Amino acid sequence: MATDYAAIREAIVDGDADTAAALGRDVAETAENALEAVDTAATVIREVGDRFGAGEIYLPEMVLAAEAMQAFMDEVTPRLEAEAQRSGESRETAKVVIGTVKGDIHSIGKNIVATMLSASGYEIIDLGVNVVPMDAISEADRTGASIIGLSALMTTSMPYQKEVVSLLTELDRRNDYWVIVGGGPVTSDYADEIGSNGWAPDAAAAVQLCDRMMSSGTGPATAPFIGKEEE
Amino acid sequence: MKLDLDRILDVLDKAHTGPVYNERTFNLEVVAKTIQEKVAQYGLTGTCDPANPIPADDDLADRFYQAGFDAAVDIGLLCADTNRTIRLSAAELQAGLDAAPSEFWLGSGDQRVHYRHRELDDPTPPVWTAPLSIAVAEDAFVPMVEAFARVPVIDVLQGPSLETIHGRPLRSGSPYEHIAGRYQADLMHEGLRRAGREGMPLEAIATSTTHIGVLGGYGVEGGYSRDSDIVTILSIADFWTSYESLFKMTQVYVTGGGFINGATWVMLGGYAGGPEGTAVACIAYTLLMISVFQGARGGVPPFDLAYMGNTGGRAQWALSMFDQAVTRNTHVVLQSVVNQVTGPGTKELLYESIVGLTNIAVSGTANSVGVRSAGGRLTNYLTPLENQFAGEVYKAAAGMSREQGNEIVKRFMPKYAAVLSTPPDGRPFQELYNLDTLQPIAEWRQMYEEVKAEAIDAGLPMD
Ligand code: B12
Repeated sequence: MATDYAAIREAIVDGDADTAAALGRDVAETAENALEAVDTAATVIREVGDRFGAGEIYLPEMVLAAEAMQAFMDEVTPRLEAEAQRSGESRETAKVVIGTVKGDIHSIGKNIVATMLSASGYEIIDLGVNVVPMDAISEADRTGASIIGLSALMTTSMPYQKEVVSLLTELDRRNDYWVIVGGGPVTSDYADEIGSNGWAPDAAAAVQLCDRMMSSGTGPATAPFIGKEEE
Repeated sequence: MKLDLDRILDVLDKAHTGPVYNERTFNLEVVAKTIQEKVAQYGLTGTCDPANPIPADDDLADRFYQAGFDAAVDIGLLCADTNRTIRLSAAELQAGLDAAPSEFWLGSGDQRVHYRHRELDDPTPPVWTAPLSIAVAEDAFVPMVEAFARVPVIDVLQGPSLETIHGRPLRSGSPYEHIAGRYQADLMHEGLRRAGREGMPLEAIATSTTHIGVLGGYGVEGGYSRDSDIVTILSIADFWTSYESLFKMTQVYVTGGGFINGATWVMLGGYAGGPEGTAVACIAYTLLMISVFQGARGGVPPFDLAYMGNTGGRAQWALSMFDQAVTRNTHVVLQSVVNQVTGPGTKELLYESIVGLTNIAVSGTANSVGVRSAGGRLTNYLTPLENQFAGEVYKAAAGMSREQGNEIVKRFMPKYAAVLSTPPDGRPFQELYNLDTLQPIAEWRQMYEEVKAEAIDAGLPMD
């Protein structure tokens, strides 16, 4: 059966999770090229993200679109994994533990990043706000995450981003997790200086950042820092 | 001002027994849906005209108020620590608003400041508080406070804020912050002394990022004074609150009572949706902050997620509609905040200030805190001069009509529209001021003079 790309687009834009899941099942069962359907869906959710960034649509619409995307991916992922296994490459969804650091309750930016990452196929463990440095690491241990994402909106909470990196280093576990940081006052230079693995100015860039890290082929302890692109 | 213990206990009880929600259900099913319903029910859909940000339609403002009042009753405030909702009945909400003062005094001696409810087109000068809690280097802190206090048009001081204390990084929510509350009071008092303005009211506590700094610095000996200073409680945006905010209120109570400013933001483009929904949400949240936290003063302005500020057309419209609605339908001492995005040392920052402060002056606010120089993001990027300028605009615009205000706003909005999403950072205090004389450098002074001349030419009586 030919894949109905227009219907996939519509279900995601409308935030219709039931229809998106049904279309995902169709793709999983009958599509000739599942990857192409996933690419379509990914393009759509990026457009939704861009329209939100431009103020053309509002948060409820974006959250519902992301949930529809998630429902679609939940159905398609098993087939992608099976195909990947046959061709010998591993295609597991990476897990991201994300939170706003201690003493800081600014959640809006962190939530947008979590929504976009989740819509892009990452499994999100959202620790909320006011996250104690050691808790971020314990949760990553518990859930088998690859990435720890830390948001800070105040100069007085930024030291806790640094503390997570310091703890990992001092516990001799720096290679266990990719640590990425962001939030209003956090600059790329600061992120580099504290020894994190990456920084992104917004949610779309955060997705690219995670994609690049997951395909880098090196480990967090030795990988070069990924931050602001040179102009 | 005494706080009413029965009301505090009732709020705490509600925060521990009220309806339970998870985050998703509350944000989408309660907040977003209720706001959408009220916008439709009161015929408010499509009423925003971003090209004319200051409407002059009393009936429309009153319908917005009704929608906001209803939304406040239906939504309430979700306490993040308990996942329960503090929900007031219509009668309780109204009783809280009735109990709020329509005027009060802060400060002491010749620095006393009179806050009072203002009406639309009211010539009564509003109160100007500056600067916001923007971080500055520790060694620049006292000189900065002195420089701000030397500006006569600034009535009350709030910021700046510290990022180190005694050379140590100030870690939010830690015992360092506890010390910082008291430390900031000392530094503020020293700056006021040097400027010869002891007795000037302060807003507590810019450096207290959680409640812990307020516990350390408010109502304690030598700290912020409960008779002459005011505590700002910023609840979590979009109808959330938390123990942090409740602790600030209970600290005011246990130290014998005092003045509370109940404030926060509604995100335009967030769960409240577009400009109409955002205005309804701003009204609802303002009524809740004043009633739940026994605010002597309060206000919840919009903040546009598209460029992280509120000086664009649709946010200015929502700001005006919210201010007009609350002004016309309550006697409270209303505050609003303009969120500039461009940096100090640029003319754009002054244009943004003309627009925002003219708007909120003619729309009835009694108080504003500013300036959000460079969006507040950058350490040391603030100077007294833009705060002086904004205060002068705010006071000069008092007494103009909404129609006159709208013409001014329309004239200056295009001057920065193109850079809203890519705002220039400008330059830091240390570069824009002579640190010995605490005076602005000639270049920055000249920009100020030139833009002021433009404002006067447009009809703002700033001379
Ligand atoms: C909304 C807001 C609040 C709300 C927060 C509500 C909420 N649920 O989040 C409330 C009112 C509660 C609040 C409280 C306070 N706030 Co506040 N707040 C803001 C404001 C106006 C907007 C922040 C925001 O949501 N931006 C929109 C989002 C979308 O942007 P973002 O967070 O930067 O996220 C984007 C990127 O940075 C990136 N990103 C974010 N996180 C991450 C993480 C990773 C891993 C990556 C890769 C990327 C990434 O992607 C996001 C999407 O594009 C800013 C001002 C400003 N201009 O930023 C002040 C601001 C952050 N607050 C400030 C302050 C001081 C406070 C208070 C201390 C005030 C007080 N004295 O009480 C309290 C602190 C409370 C606490 N314990 O945290 C200061 C911080 C100053 C400083 N230098 O440290 C600011 C800058 C205001 C100012 N001075 O002008 N605030």
